[in-house]
Amino acid sequence: MNAFLSSGILLAALLGVPLFLVILAGAALGFHSSDIDLMVLPIELYRLTESSVLMALPLFAFAGFLLGEAKTADRLVRVSMAALGWMPGGMMIIGLMTCAFFTMLTGGSGVTIVALGALLLPALRAAGYPEPFSLGLITTSGSLGLLLPPAIPLLLYGIIAQQMDIVAVDVADLFIAGIVPALIMILALYFYGLWANRRAPAPTQKFIPKELWLAFLESKWELGIPVLVLGGVLSGWLVLSEAAAATALYVLIIEVFVYKDIKFGQLVGIMRKSMVMVGGILLILGVALSFTNFLVDAQVPEKIFDMVLDLFQSKWSFLLFLNVFLLALGAILDIFAALIIMVPLILPVALHYGVDPVHLGIIFVANMQIGYFTPPVGMNLFIASYRFNKPISELYVATLPFMVVLMLVVLLITYVPQLSLWLID
Amino acid sequence: MLKPIKMVVHSIRAAESAMLVILLLGMMILAVAQIAMRNLLGTGVTWIDPLIRIAVLWIALIGAMIGTREGNHIAIDLLNQYIKGRWKWVVERLANALSAFVCAIMSWASILFVYDEYLYDTPAFGALPAWPFELIIPIGFSVMTIRFALRVLLPSQEARV
Repeated sequence: MNAFLSSGILLAALLGVPLFLVILAGAALGFHSSDIDLMVLPIELYRLTESSVLMALPLFAFAGFLLGEAKTADRLVRVSMAALGWMPGGMMIIGLMTCAFFTMLTGGSGVTIVALGALLLPALRAAGYPEPFSLGLITTSGSLGLLLPPAIPLLLYGIIAQQMDIVAVDVADLFIAGIVPALIMILALYFYGLWANRRAPAPTQKFIPKELWLAFLESKWELGIPVLVLGGVLSGWLVLSEAAAATALYVLIIEVFVYKDIKFGQLVGIMRKSMVMVGGILLILGVALSFTNFLVDAQVPEKIFDMVLDLFQSKWSFLLFLNVFLLALGAILDIFAALIIMVPLILPVALHYGVDPVHLGIIFVANMQIGYFTPPVGMNLFIASYRFNKPISELYVATLPFMVVLMLVVLLITYVPQLSLWLID
Repeated sequence: MLKPIKMVVHSIRAAESAMLVILLLGMMILAVAQIAMRNLLGTGVTWIDPLIRIAVLWIALIGAMIGTREGNHIAIDLLNQYIKGRWKWVVERLANALSAFVCAIMSWASILFVYDEYLYDTPAFGALPAWPFELIIPIGFSVMTIRFALRVLLPSQEARV
């Protein structure tokens, strides 16, 4: 009966039932079969109000939609072409850097694609990159900065590891350890991009200092946004959620009153559009909380891992398994939920195999990062499909080559621990 | 559609939009005011943070309500790519019917939840009761239930209420 209903839920997902309802149905079924009152579902959903960081999502998304409706992309293309246009693949490296930067601040909650997609896709297209390549690049880059400080997933990993009290893990070490792997990922994607467009490379520009100055003057208010976010957060003056509020208000003011790109009448429409998207994402997050709880109650993760422990004799076969497992997990589960459930289970096992705990944190987040756009259910695929109004199957195809590149990088990071650890020792 | 129904539909839409504007602007202004007070006066207001966190939940549900009307939800649309004509019609109705069913269960569970919180007088923050803040869960899921059900019963165009 249970297997019948579970496959029914899978079928519902394939029929096109919204994802948050599929997860909700799974949780409802699970709790019901464990004789737990379904009142637990709204209780878990209400837990969305426990997190202060979450408000960054609607606010960054609103700011991003505003920037998307304004002529920001044009100004950004102009200034970036002027600054980096002389480099081969200039717009590409700008796309990679800005995405990594945004994700680093927002913790890969899907904000990057929402906020920057509207900006980068036209910019990449205008710079001459084909649509599938541009879509793939942005979808992939939507989780690119997860390893850079102050990366929230790494912070969370550190906190969980410390709570377990079986091994000392310093969060600062994690932050330092993530830098080199993150840079390798950015470079690998950049070089892949150059190679992929070798037959029709995007035209390069001559470097003209005056044009750079003029472009800078035109876009100075928007270039101030990262300064506001990064400066506010890194100086400790603002927490991320406050930085998001300040950014949203700042963007609202510059686009409506300074650039005058957005009229008052458009604001309600932009708010609606951005919040429909945010609502969808937040509800998935909210119902994932209760589904995760059901899995833990049913001891599903432990059962799986007990089986695995017998199977792997060496550290390397364990690590390979870990890569595959985390990749799949990252595709199914929200990264924070996955961290909260799996770190307590994986860390003792990994220590048993002699894996450095800091290295494990990097492996964990690096795999999860790819899981974000692993077909068929990686979250960023849905978000990109939603944001760009493209069928998800088109995004599967567009993202695949980038995924292969990053998988190779993750293998490198996994099997060469020194890449993560040499800055620490 | 009948005129009174049209009026109800329009006022619901207007209410959704108005709520979104109030919630978003309110979040921005309150959070920035909080930063300003902390830096200028050295103190903050305790109710701002919990109020903003509740506003996020409200935004989530109102956004999803509007998303349901517009048929604009994150879903696996793999099957929809490959079917056409009558089968597409059937699959869409089936998906909407299942969605309405799940939403109905959630509506019922959340009505019980909010009623319980009302009976036990659970506090939210300060001396305020939690239940009015939680009310958006049953409201949101009930509206979504109706909207999904209408998408089963009515032709696609008229179902956008």
